[in-house]
Amino acid sequence: MSADAVCAPIALRAEESAVAADVSAQGTENTAKKKQELPRRAAAFVQIGAALLWLPQAGLLSIAVGYIAAGNGIADILWLAFGVLAIGVMRALVDAAGNRMAFGAARTTLSALREQSVAALANRSPLDPSRTASGEAASILTEQAEAVVPYLARFRPARLKATVIPLAILLCVLSLSWAVAIVLLIAAPLIPIFMALIGWRAKAASEAQLVEMGSMNAFLLDRLRGLATIRSLDAVDLTARRLRADAESLRTRTMAVLRIAFLSSAVLELFAALGVAMVAVYVGFHLLGQLDFGTWSGRLTLNEGLFILLLAPAFFEPLRELSSVWHDRAAGEAALDALRQLANDGMQLPGQQHREKQELRTIPEAADASAIHIRGLTFRYAGNDLPIFEDLDLDISAGEHVALLGPSGSGKSTLLALIAGLAPIENGRITIAGQSMTSAAAFKQRNKIAWIGQRSHIFAGTVAANVSLGHPHVNAGAVASALKQAALENVANARGKASIGEGGSGLSGGEALRLALARAAADPDASLILADEPTAHLDSETARDIAGRLFTLALGKTLVIATHDPALAARAHRIIDLRSDFSKESV
Amino acid sequence: MTLRCDFQPIIQLFLAERRYTLLTGALLAAATVLAGVALLGLSGWFITATAIAGLSSAAAFAFDVFAPSAGIRFLALARTAARYGERLTTHDATLGVLAALREKLFRGWAMPDGAQSLLRRPAKLLFRLTADIDALDSLYLRVLVPAAVALCSALVVSVALGLMHPLLGLMAGSWLLLTGFGIPVLAARFSTGASRRRTHALEALRSRVIDLVSGQTELIMAGRIWAQRETIKAADDRLAQADDALNRTEMAVTAGFGIASAVLLAGTLVGVAVLAQAGAIGAPVAAFGLLIALAALEPFAGLRRGALELARTVLSARRIGPRLVTAPPPALPSPPPEGFVVQLENITASHRGTSAASLHDISLSMADGERIALIGPSGAGKSTLLALIAGDLTPTHGNAACATATLLTQKTELFQDSLRDNLKLAAPDADDDHLWGALAIAGLADHAETMARGLDARLGEGGQGLSGGQARRLSLARLLLRNTKLWLLDEPTEGLDGETARDVLCRLTQHMDGRSVIIATHNRREAEITDRLLILKQGRIIASIRRGEPMFDAALLALRPD
Repeated sequence: MSADAVCAPIALRAEESAVAADVSAQGTENTAKKKQELPRRAAAFVQIGAALLWLPQAGLLSIAVGYIAAGNGIADILWLAFGVLAIGVMRALVDAAGNRMAFGAARTTLSALREQSVAALANRSPLDPSRTASGEAASILTEQAEAVVPYLARFRPARLKATVIPLAILLCVLSLSWAVAIVLLIAAPLIPIFMALIGWRAKAASEAQLVEMGSMNAFLLDRLRGLATIRSLDAVDLTARRLRADAESLRTRTMAVLRIAFLSSAVLELFAALGVAMVAVYVGFHLLGQLDFGTWSGRLTLNEGLFILLLAPAFFEPLRELSSVWHDRAAGEAALDALRQLANDGMQLPGQQHREKQELRTIPEAADASAIHIRGLTFRYAGNDLPIFEDLDLDISAGEHVALLGPSGSGKSTLLALIAGLAPIENGRITIAGQSMTSAAAFKQRNKIAWIGQRSHIFAGTVAANVSLGHPHVNAGAVASALKQAALENVANARGKASIGEGGSGLSGGEALRLALARAAADPDASLILADEPTAHLDSETARDIAGRLFTLALGKTLVIATHDPALAARAHRIIDLRSDFSKESV
Repeated sequence: MTLRCDFQPIIQLFLAERRYTLLTGALLAAATVLAGVALLGLSGWFITATAIAGLSSAAAFAFDVFAPSAGIRFLALARTAARYGERLTTHDATLGVLAALREKLFRGWAMPDGAQSLLRRPAKLLFRLTADIDALDSLYLRVLVPAAVALCSALVVSVALGLMHPLLGLMAGSWLLLTGFGIPVLAARFSTGASRRRTHALEALRSRVIDLVSGQTELIMAGRIWAQRETIKAADDRLAQADDALNRTEMAVTAGFGIASAVLLAGTLVGVAVLAQAGAIGAPVAAFGLLIALAALEPFAGLRRGALELARTVLSARRIGPRLVTAPPPALPSPPPEGFVVQLENITASHRGTSAASLHDISLSMADGERIALIGPSGAGKSTLLALIAGDLTPTHGNAACATATLLTQKTELFQDSLRDNLKLAAPDADDDHLWGALAIAGLADHAETMARGLDARLGEGGQGLSGGQARRLSLARLLLRNTKLWLLDEPTEGLDGETARDVLCRLTQHMDGRSVIIATHNRREAEITDRLLILKQGRIIASIRRGEPMFDAALLALRPD
């Protein structure tokens, strides 16, 4: 009963805030959508306007042929030719302008979507297990997101064009001849059915092709990644033949799908071509006087007949255009979905950082070592019933060097992350140097902490940039001295301006750890060092050296190490075994 | 011409693979376009002729309607058939070429130096490779076919107009060629810079997002996460600028074709009017000329995307081309003298493009059946020496003679494939009993039996679905199946928990009899099973200690315990 009473308000609050966040997110999304929708519509209408300029151009052309047939002088035709040229140039320019507008609007949307997703990624707690992996996030935000622009800039206007233009042309034709209008209507039985047909074939085709071609690239990349093993097993020829055989069987299977899929595109083609042919034959017979029906009054003139003929291909053109950009749709919608998924909220990082806070770099009140007090800490991972910590109390005095010992899974790394304020805690309080690690204070609190991660990430950039991480106040001198403290000068000199990290030549395990050490050394404000498994996976010589440097660096500062290396733990002032000293007892 | 040099290996590959399909595809594409042009032209002629004939009933009666109307219907059907055939043939050809390209590329990369350069810079290189291959896939469909079609239609249209008057044909033809190919070439020129900037910006965006996600903790702790978001934004801004420049060029091409088409149309109108007035042609022929001019520039629009991507395609061809040139297979290493498996004399070697992890003046004789541990700090050259013995690295100086070896790489490398095919890499002819036997020795048979499809169970990318220990056991099974005299083991139990590590090592040791083994390690339990310790430091062997020598136990003790 009492537990319920305590829990209920918290749950309620959480729900309320979630709902509020949802509502506000939806609100902004809607207004943003409206804002982006407007220029896109305008762009589509400009393109439609350009396409409709064909009507007067076709009119002038048919009048000109009429004049030629009637034997009019060249002077009359020159004016018409000039008109054809002028309208043609105008049509080209207006169409290009419409396309530019559509592209601009679509590209702005893409930038906004990317920014949203990046913000969500940045504000996610690193402890959230459902966090997207870096490779996947990168591929969604780069290659996959690129599909958004063609979808918005090409497919959407094409869809609108395919509904408006045929209708306009049909009305135009209808005013001259109801028979031709019927021919066109029969040739394009019902535009929606047509579009469904196109969609079906395009879907089958693009799915068969894109997905399978992608899987072939994946196969190649997968094998290239393991090339050393394949070479060593003398299986190069085997793998190459297998690659070929797979690709050939893929070709056979894809072609089987395409043979049917292209049939429906052939149907569209057939209707379009037959539509033009039937119009031409009808008009011809009508003009000969053999089909004396289909007009509102009397026989069509040559001008009218030619005009109708010139409109017939234009009637089908938007449908063909739509069919040719249909594959943009699947990719575009998938990309939009993936981006939205990425922007979903998960476990949030306490003390999210904003631009103005970035500027605010306070000089800590005292550069003294920071004492840590943990009271009643409870934390569990999302979806887990059992908490990792329940009501944990822990005190570490200023300047003390503490080793958290325990097998993997005992929560050493999690405890370090919670001290650093990397995830919201369920209950309890963590105080560093007298200040509570609340969400509001988290950003400022982290200034006091230097972090040495288990597998410290190497950023794309030089060794020096990897030490300073772009901090304006870490100058070249500070970097040089930090490199020296971590015994990394040789590496820094050898690599010089070359990039390490993603795409660079990388660092060995020991060098990566020295880099993390140098980062900690370059941070002058840090009075607390948190080190997560600093000597795992190192040879004993390197491990000894790194441990020595770590403890030297921590002189006069508080140091908390999570480790399962007894040799390293033995050098600390105090060892806390998380397994035996776990929870409730004050350790 | 450098362009030809760049494309030569690729075009050669295309032609060698599917010469006739490729040509048929292009011809059918041209037929489609020409049928369309002719359909429109004939229809215009027909309507004009019937309108004139319809003015008098005698002429109307005498007018042969059936030939032209049958022609119109025939062209409509021919266009559809040609279109269907074209789509099938070009896609079949593309898929065929794509298969050949991938096989050839794989063989190219599998050459020793290719393999090494892949190993050193994998992520970005692989990302680039996919993009490059995709760019080359589209060379045929986006560039070659549209260019052939455009050329065909320009020729046919100018010949048709030339029959009315040679000058008209000549002018129309030159205008078509000038604008039809001039505009795309100009566009390719203008888009080169932008498409290069685009590629770079995309790569920057990618690596910065990876930095944001993988390095999130570091960035948060350093208070730099906002700064990282800004750099991502900056990369996207640069990307947007490049995209915009490319789109501007694309739209300039579109508008250029539109204007060129309007000029051609107006010019042809004046031309046929002059000819008609001079009595050289009648009104129906004039209508025919006008309507084929209307359709003449349409095929050139197909070159638009190809032109914009040409710069990108050239870059890809330049990067990938060298891998397609068939190099002679490297000379087989000379076999070591009788009783030895490895003979190295004063070897100096280094990875291409790096100064790190190179070997200096290495000499080593390894007798048949000997077991050696390579020890030394990381970066001392242990893995490099193994690569050299495995034949993945050619020495710059010195002589190397090594027996055929199997290398167990430091990182377990498994493939997205069935369990069976992962094993069969090592022994293509092995039957299932054989495979189960190897799995049993490696200690994985029990687990494999619990998997739903046994040997047919599929592993994910990089062997996903198996734990680290299981993956290592699988690579152990492969090692046993390969059955070579010399084993090169690079930290075989690293990263495994103590119990699994001991079990794997124990199984390895049981099957070492009669083999020679080199283990690169910094682990005591692995070094203990050998008879000789080679200590490497900065690419040199600084000590060689045999079991029984006074230093042996001390050197073992200096290694990391479990």
